Amino acid sequence: MSQFVFATAEYASGDWESAPALPENVIDTLAKYTTIDVAPVGVNVKLSSDELFNYPFVWMTGHLPVRFTDAERRNVKRYVERGGFLMIDDHNHDITGVFHKTVNEEIERLFGKMTRLPKDHELYRCFFVFEDGPPNTHHELNGYGDDLLHRYLDAVLVNGRIGLLYSSKDYSSEWNFHAETKKFMQQDPTKFAVNLIVYALTR
Amino acid sequence: MRSPGSAARSSLEWLLRGAVLVLLAAYLARTIRAQRHGAEERATSSELRSALARWSTVVAPDRVHVVLDHPPAGLERDWLAALPSASTAVAWSGPTLLPSAIAVEPRADPARGAEVSVAAPAGTMVVLRDTVGPLDSARATAIGVRAYLPKPRRTTDAVVGPVVARGAVHDSLSLKKLLVLGPANWETKFTVAALEERGWKVDAHIALSPKGDVQQGEIGAIDTARYSAVLAIDSSAGRYGERIAQYVRSGGGLVLWSPATKARSLAAIAPGTAGMLQEDEGAAPSDTAPRAALELTPITQLAPDAVVLERRGNDVALAARRVGSGRVIETGYTNSWRWRMAGAGDDAPEQHRAWLASLVANVAYAGRTVIPTPPTDVAPLASLIERLGPSTPDDGQVPRDPNAIARWMFAMLCIALIIEWASRRLRGVK
Repeated sequence: MSQFVFATAEYASGDWESAPALPENVIDTLAKYTTIDVAPVGVNVKLSSDELFNYPFVWMTGHLPVRFTDAERRNVKRYVERGGFLMIDDHNHDITGVFHKTVNEEIERLFGKMTRLPKDHELYRCFFVFEDGPPNTHHELNGYGDDLLHRYLDAVLVNGRIGLLYSSKDYSSEWNFHAETKKFMQQDPTKFAVNLIVYALTR
Repeated sequence: MRSPGSAARSSLEWLLRGAVLVLLAAYLARTIRAQRHGAEERATSSELRSALARWSTVVAPDRVHVVLDHPPAGLERDWLAALPSASTAVAWSGPTLLPSAIAVEPRADPARGAEVSVAAPAGTMVVLRDTVGPLDSARATAIGVRAYLPKPRRTTDAVVGPVVARGAVHDSLSLKKLLVLGPANWETKFTVAALEERGWKVDAHIALSPKGDVQQGEIGAIDTARYSAVLAIDSSAGRYGERIAQYVRSGGGLVLWSPATKARSLAAIAPGTAGMLQEDEGAAPSDTAPRAALELTPITQLAPDAVVLERRGNDVALAARRVGSGRVIETGYTNSWRWRMAGAGDDAPEQHRAWLASLVANVAYAGRTVIPTPPTDVAPLASLIERLGPSTPDDGQVPRDPNAIARWMFAMLCIALIIEWASRRLRGVK
């Protein structure tokens, strides 16, 4: 339990399993750049389960509408308030899409309006430095989804720390590639994942 | 010839004359005895205040014996202690009095509060109370009773039978920062978070990669002017090992997670070494025994001067020792973060914070400033013995009130004489 385990959130509605290759790429990146003791494989954890609290970093994504069950709502609220880090990424990259709309409704219902993170937030400097805030994805640059470049990420802050981070940038597509592909890339697109996890582990 | 009634009356008169002589003889003997031994008086706790006034203003007995069912208040104790200066020897006894003492120490914790330690005979019931009312009660063990008061009032009483020991916080603490050294893992993260939420200012050095580590705050000299305690979560703290050892020897506090003892410099000052890891089974820490569900790296090969503070089964889970002027506490619970995250009760995060804060408070260095306090009586029986000497057995032979006995004897004597005189006059005898 002292190892870092990459956990993917499993929820009752929607397609939670839409980025199956993402965990192994993030784990690979963590092992490559840091000395963090990371488990070689990730886990899937139900948001409604008590198991959730054994994984203080959880990745959640999807394309379809999200309606949390009562148990999921209760757990997510408790999870964030106790110090967990829930990363929610819109796999549609579309602020008019159903995932964005429904997830934001759920977040607002539980925590109120989210805070927009400034580009100089420590999230963008805690390991790799991203001068312009969250790095852009190829899906943004190629005009998929809402055809917008999302300059900021939004967050629920608990005691000044990020408890829930919401992204419209579609890192789920950006980092969901076959593991063998990375060696052909000029730049490692998953570096920002290191920042997310280092932030979660150190702040 | 005398009638039988007259003869009986004559016998009674002789009997009364005899009684008068006996009473006179007893009075004479008592007077001689009092002259030889001096006057003795006796009083109980309830009579003490009035008796003291009488002994100081009406009579000055040679000796007094006070039978106490509770220790006298400070004024009465000082008054008794002053009597020998007026040539009145003071003795006391109090078979029901139990020795007890209280110490109220400020806690090295931003949440403030105070640690109360009560010494009392094992098995006795100790009730803690303040000016508002009772706070807690516990049966004393071989090491007495210890309790934490989140918001102590000006004075705190420990009631042990009839004895009330009163203590107060005498110092105000000046807390410095904490330094947390550990790897980038959940234990480090939640330790820093919990201590910051508790109110500590925390510097941290978190080992992350060959490229660089995460530092929180500016870590300069490790000394008691800067840090109240250092927390070493794993052997990555070994890079500061020599500086930490020197810091502890000069009075600093160190909290060690048992894996940190793998660093040689830290092992030298640790209460013990790390045993085999016992992984948890993922169960949620319960409300009643939360640490039972945590993984444990037990503390083994204890140093000769180490003190075991907590066991889980046969394994040592918490131990402490003094090193130079400082203190070191070692914990075998290596994933206490699960208590906060997965604890069953709603107050699990608060419990986890309080537990971590108590580890720190046990060792932390803090500058002290004396503050004015109300009068206290931290060890009433010891103070009594210090002022009056040890108790003496109560032989019960000293009359309660010699004047009352004298009055009683005089009254009996008068009655006997009047009856004798009346009897003779009624018989017509002069």
